[in-house]
Amino acid sequence: MADLNIIIAGAAGQGVQSAGEILGKTLLRLGFYVYATQDYQSRVRGGHNFMRIRFGDRPLIAQVRHSNYLLALNEESLRLHLPDLDPQGLALCMTDDQGAVDDPRIRALADEVGPRSARGEKFVGVKLLSLLFTALGFGPATLSGAVQAEMGKRLKPELLQANLEAIAAVAAVVAKGDVHPLPFGPDPSEPRMLVSGNDAISLGMVAGGVGVYASYPMTPASSIMESLAAFGPRVGVAVEQTEDEIAALNLAIGAAYAGARAAAGSSGAGMCLMSEAMGLAGITETPVVIIDGQRPGPAVGMATRTEQSDLLFLVHASQGEFPRAILAPADHADGFYLAAEAFNLAERWHIPVFLMDDQAYADALRSVPEFDVSRVKIDRGPLAPEPETPQVLRRYEVTESGVSPRAYPALSKWIVCCDSHEHDEYGRLTDNLQNRDRQNHKRMKKLDGIAAEFPGPEIVGDPDGTLLLCWGSTVGPVLEALEQLRGRGHRLGVAIFRHLFPVNAPKVQAALSPAKRLITIEMNYRGQLGQLLRMEAGIATHGHIGKTDGRGFTVEDVVARVEPLLGGAS
Amino acid sequence: MSCLDDFAQYPPEWCPGCGNFDLLDCLKQALCDLGLQPHEIINVIGIGQASKLGFSLKCNMFDGLHGRALPVVLGIKMANPAVKVIATSGDGCFYAEGGNHFIHNLRRNLDVAILASDNRVYGLTKGQASPTSASDFKTKVHIEGVGALPLNPAALALVSGATFVARTFTGAKAEATELIKKALLHRGAAVIDIMSPCVSFNKVNTFAWFRQRAKPIGPDHDVTDLHAALKLAFHDDEHIPTGVLYQTRRPVFGDHLTVMQGESIVQRTLRFTPDRVRPLFKDFY
Repeated sequence: MADLNIIIAGAAGQGVQSAGEILGKTLLRLGFYVYATQDYQSRVRGGHNFMRIRFGDRPLIAQVRHSNYLLALNEESLRLHLPDLDPQGLALCMTDDQGAVDDPRIRALADEVGPRSARGEKFVGVKLLSLLFTALGFGPATLSGAVQAEMGKRLKPELLQANLEAIAAVAAVVAKGDVHPLPFGPDPSEPRMLVSGNDAISLGMVAGGVGVYASYPMTPASSIMESLAAFGPRVGVAVEQTEDEIAALNLAIGAAYAGARAAAGSSGAGMCLMSEAMGLAGITETPVVIIDGQRPGPAVGMATRTEQSDLLFLVHASQGEFPRAILAPADHADGFYLAAEAFNLAERWHIPVFLMDDQAYADALRSVPEFDVSRVKIDRGPLAPEPETPQVLRRYEVTESGVSPRAYPALSKWIVCCDSHEHDEYGRLTDNLQNRDRQNHKRMKKLDGIAAEFPGPEIVGDPDGTLLLCWGSTVGPVLEALEQLRGRGHRLGVAIFRHLFPVNAPKVQAALSPAKRLITIEMNYRGQLGQLLRMEAGIATHGHIGKTDGRGFTVEDVVARVEPLLGGAS
Repeated sequence: MSCLDDFAQYPPEWCPGCGNFDLLDCLKQALCDLGLQPHEIINVIGIGQASKLGFSLKCNMFDGLHGRALPVVLGIKMANPAVKVIATSGDGCFYAEGGNHFIHNLRRNLDVAILASDNRVYGLTKGQASPTSASDFKTKVHIEGVGALPLNPAALALVSGATFVARTFTGAKAEATELIKKALLHRGAAVIDIMSPCVSFNKVNTFAWFRQRAKPIGPDHDVTDLHAALKLAFHDDEHIPTGVLYQTRRPVFGDHLTVMQGESIVQRTLRFTPDRVRPLFKDFY
């Protein structure tokens, strides 16, 4: 089992992302497992961006800090990333970008290598990739084929030709001593896709039957709107970029009332604007899915960074009390299946369902086997049988489960009245005291039903030592750190929470009770998962490993923070 | 049972003499004249005294948040473009809390009949200023007058892109009924600025005040002329032109979207299976 980690770094606009995408796709097609993360700033030009592209012969679930190759598109990138470069690693750059940095691992390439038609900034990415591929022991045809496949249609023929000639010329100047064929091979046992976290969610939404999506651009949620808009004409998803997030969720609620499967998405600030409409979905019992791509707050926070600090906000958001559910994917496959499940939950219980991810997950690319569509079922929840003559539906009929059969207005003879005020069974505004209690209890008891069908956390590793409690993007690096730490003799386990709210207290208590010590590890300050478990299940955690610098955990980060808490190996 | 009875729901609870009674009568009459059925249409209402009309009109109803009726309409129309949708609310809902949605849904030319009852005061919360109150209007809050200029609903509708803009007065029931019918038949964003007296909280803009000033637009007005319509929108307060100010045709929201042609999303959703995602996978290999 082995893997290598490559960093591509430079200023915004220099092509870090396009080089990273070519590299990632090429490694994917060669049959390697890939995991890539993006670190970028909220700017179109300048600043410092980088991608970490890790590939290996087994599934990879996290980013690591330690790197084997550095592709530096400017001098600053050398300075910033040489400290994490392996002593045997190589730093690849253009001669002009080396500046005053001196390090025996640097291999600088003169711009003059290659044809005259391939000079200057535009060709830096492809030339450094050619150095890298050669150093990895791949022939120049590997990269040429990838460039043709990825960019052949976009580039003018002469520009494509210049790229191909540059690849061949650069490959020829790599010193033999710098060529280190891979110590591991690919695993072509199954075809794999390369998807980001948000891709997985978008695809899952389509599998789950989304028909209408509304949002206002905000990192890191925008890519879901863009993906669904691109898929829309092919599969039947209508997407609208609304005037604000208030409109986005009200729109989704209108579409859901009309009978579509509808969702709205944003980041935390958008959740604030949507809060009023979350309550609207709650009291009108309109099934709707809300996606929160978290980033650091409060207010504008850090636009392109990551955090997991919206959990308790979404548990409580909007005034009054109403039932809701909160799901969080722990990996890319989860993103697909939970996004689809969210619509079923919403339509079976007539509630708003939140799907939470965060930037570290949203932008992370991972190779995955094709999602198993047969695992997805569409359950549209209880519908009222069609009446013989038009009449007003008892839309809020008090039932045992709290769920009242619905109908799609204007598609049936039912007259469907939904009300944002407290209302009677027919949707008529009333503040009658007995009715209020009947309707409020009817709504709130859904929480018991939902919690009862939610699973407890998944336990990986030792359940009876120290248990690390985590969710979302933190899970990957924690699981990989778990392997390392258990390998060193520590008695350690991980509890992965996907169904965050409502909390199934008995199942959570049962899963956590064998542990001697519970430590939350989350991208937030106060340990919100721990707070939630104490509040909902009376579970006391014993410590919290928080991270609020906006950068997702690396495996090394987790090991460095967890190991000191474990004492000597047991 | 007469058609008007078919649309009868709960008795209204407005103050005796409220203009909204007349609006309710006109709306029911318009729906009957057009042969529409309660289960075929959707009335989306906001919050305010005018919105409460929704509880007295039997038809599909979604009572939303203050100011947010139009985004709900947009969602409904994305899911089911064929359904006839009415949005009923007042000046506070459409122009204060919902001002942003009002502007942008007119830009979209959202296919909806917007019945904007305007009494130039907040009735539900008992007498505060509305965006259409006169600048010298005094309230318990604005004890020295509002100060700000009153918003001009018809002018705002015109510059925002509405494709049908009319103004009427609840005291002119025949005119109001005809205009509501025209708005319901119009394909696109239709706004009717409906002057409606509040007998409890607006002692200035009374029934008599509106009656004296509301004057039907003459036959010479060209309703397709935006500039002429704007001129009529900017009336002085002694002479308020009523009738159709403007009507034109342009694509409605969704016309430019491939996905919104043909069978509606709601109908397609009934047949969606998880397999619909499969063709998308090839983009990721």
